Amino acid sequence: MSTLLEVSGVSVTFDGFRAINNLSFNIGPAELRAIIGPNGAGKTTFMDIVTGKTKPDEGRVLWGEKNVSLLKMSEAQIAQAGIGRKFQRPTVFEDQSVEDNLLMALARPRGPLSVLFWRASQKALSRVRELAEEIGLADQLSRKSGELSHGQKQWLEIGMLLAQEPKLLLVDEPAAGMTPEEREHTTSLLVEAAKTRAVVVVEHDMEFVRRLNCKVTVLHEGSVLAEGKLDHVTANQKVIDVYLGR
Amino acid sequence: MQRRPLVARHPSILIFLALLALFTLGVTLLSEAYGTGYLSTSFVKTLGKTLCLCLVAVAMDLVWGYAGILSLGHFAFFGLGGYMIGMWLMYERTRDIVAGSMAEAAIPPTEQEIVDAIGTQIFGVVGASEFPAIWAFADSLLLQLVLVVAVPGLLALVFGWLAFRSRVTGVYLSILTQAMTLALALYLFQNDSGLRGNNGLSGLQNIPGLTDVPQSHVSMWFLWASAAALALGYVLSAWIVSGKFGSVLRGIRDNEARVRFLGYPVEQYKLMIFTVTAMIAGIAGALYYPQAGIINPAEIAPIASIYLAVWVAIGGRGRLYGAVIGAAFVSLVSSWFTGGQAPDVNLGFYTISWVDWWLILLGLSFVAVTIFAPRGIGGLVDLIADARRPDRHGADLGPDQGALREKEADR
Repeated sequence: MSTLLEVSGVSVTFDGFRAINNLSFNIGPAELRAIIGPNGAGKTTFMDIVTGKTKPDEGRVLWGEKNVSLLKMSEAQIAQAGIGRKFQRPTVFEDQSVEDNLLMALARPRGPLSVLFWRASQKALSRVRELAEEIGLADQLSRKSGELSHGQKQWLEIGMLLAQEPKLLLVDEPAAGMTPEEREHTTSLLVEAAKTRAVVVVEHDMEFVRRLNCKVTVLHEGSVLAEGKLDHVTANQKVIDVYLGR
Repeated sequence: MQRRPLVARHPSILIFLALLALFTLGVTLLSEAYGTGYLSTSFVKTLGKTLCLCLVAVAMDLVWGYAGILSLGHFAFFGLGGYMIGMWLMYERTRDIVAGSMAEAAIPPTEQEIVDAIGTQIFGVVGASEFPAIWAFADSLLLQLVLVVAVPGLLALVFGWLAFRSRVTGVYLSILTQAMTLALALYLFQNDSGLRGNNGLSGLQNIPGLTDVPQSHVSMWFLWASAAALALGYVLSAWIVSGKFGSVLRGIRDNEARVRFLGYPVEQYKLMIFTVTAMIAGIAGALYYPQAGIINPAEIAPIASIYLAVWVAIGGRGRLYGAVIGAAFVSLVSSWFTGGQAPDVNLGFYTISWVDWWLILLGLSFVAVTIFAPRGIGGLVDLIADARRPDRHGADLGPDQGALREKEADR
């Protein structure tokens, strides 16, 4: 299987603390992957490195068929290359309507001049409507997103990610603070999305990971402790010691 | 779904333009030149200058209220615009005078003699007579008009490129912009800066070629021009913030990092809005100073740019008409208080003289507006429009320092 993202030998230190230690990670073009690990295992730092927010001290991060290095690119360039990120806390533009949020995320030219003269076409509006239906917010299009419930904001953010049409989706704790029904909806959104693209989900909740039914990577102290099926890694003695046993 | 035109989506634009037209018509009908003469020429000039201040406030609202960049240096761009037009006004006016007096000489003066005489006239006060290189285009109205937008634009472009590229934000950026305007003012205070040091440029109210036209007429023409510039600037600004560009700007204000992860090159957007608003400020300054008659480096002192932020805050940031209301209200009230028209308050043991106490009153109202009415005077419009605040349990609309507070936003 070809690789979409290849992270190899990456290390990063903050004030003497090794947040990521010789980490290597690969994911293919249409794959769902869950990353689990205790607090401070480096899950969020890993995402920061891939999205360009943090520059690693050493190691390589290669992207796509052409194996472009992401380390020299800015956050905006990486996002344009096809990596979308969902934050732990829902971050949507609260002052703006659901429709404006989705329109902003739509995969269109991002330069200031082309955006200045851009006006929503019929096609863009119908694509927004389609996305809104997918995330269950079709009747909320004109509402300010700041008024939405916590779960709805999470979906809106997932909808914005889908609108970006990324090749890789990085999702940080999507089910945090959701009701059981909302979780189910989120699971199906992610599983559906992973049919056409790579999706990496960072999650604490074992039950949620079990429902995703995918390959799992366990992080501990900044490197990979184990990788494989959920039942396989949960049977691993090292994993039990550092994580599950607590 | 048919997309409606700009004014239909934002009826406030039409209301604003109608009120502005009504105001201009009213002033015209009450002016000395074209009407009953109820308004004195100097008051017409005050009103015309106020319109220019409204225009620079609109620019400030774009950059602060929409993009969240608290620039405390936009009055430097305003002043630069004034200097650029002032150079032409002063040069041409002096040439008229010099040529007039030399024409009586027995031998007609050469072109070089006239230029030298103009130089002596203009730079005599700073002990020089040579034209500095920056006056190279002073004899061409067209080129100086180009410089009115080009010089502030270029300064903003260079400054913004350096600042935004290094991701300087929040208070640090505000301090940098203050430093920029202070440095510019200090430079211009020097006699060898080439712009007459602390004397500044004067006699700007005398328009070359219009010496026979009384000031009462000239003041009306400038008021019309200022009103037209404000109308155009307002519509342009409303158009800029109406579409996706406006969405991105507001996104940058509330949550810059998120906009970046959507793939937008945030720095380019900031640079563009910073530069465009600097150009608008330059145009406003170029219309202001011929009405004021004089420009000197004190005009671009750091405090002037802080006033600009105070006007926008009192008017209500993040809404263009709020900036206009704030600038007009505060600057008119200010000239009433500081002009000695406000009656002193005699407390028996102490007399409050408003000329001294006005700044304290302004400061207190600024604090009061920030704490008790964050939506400013423009927020009164929401009472009529019945716009409600979102219930965000006290949280801001985004994590950034420039983000709107819950109380500033509407549903």
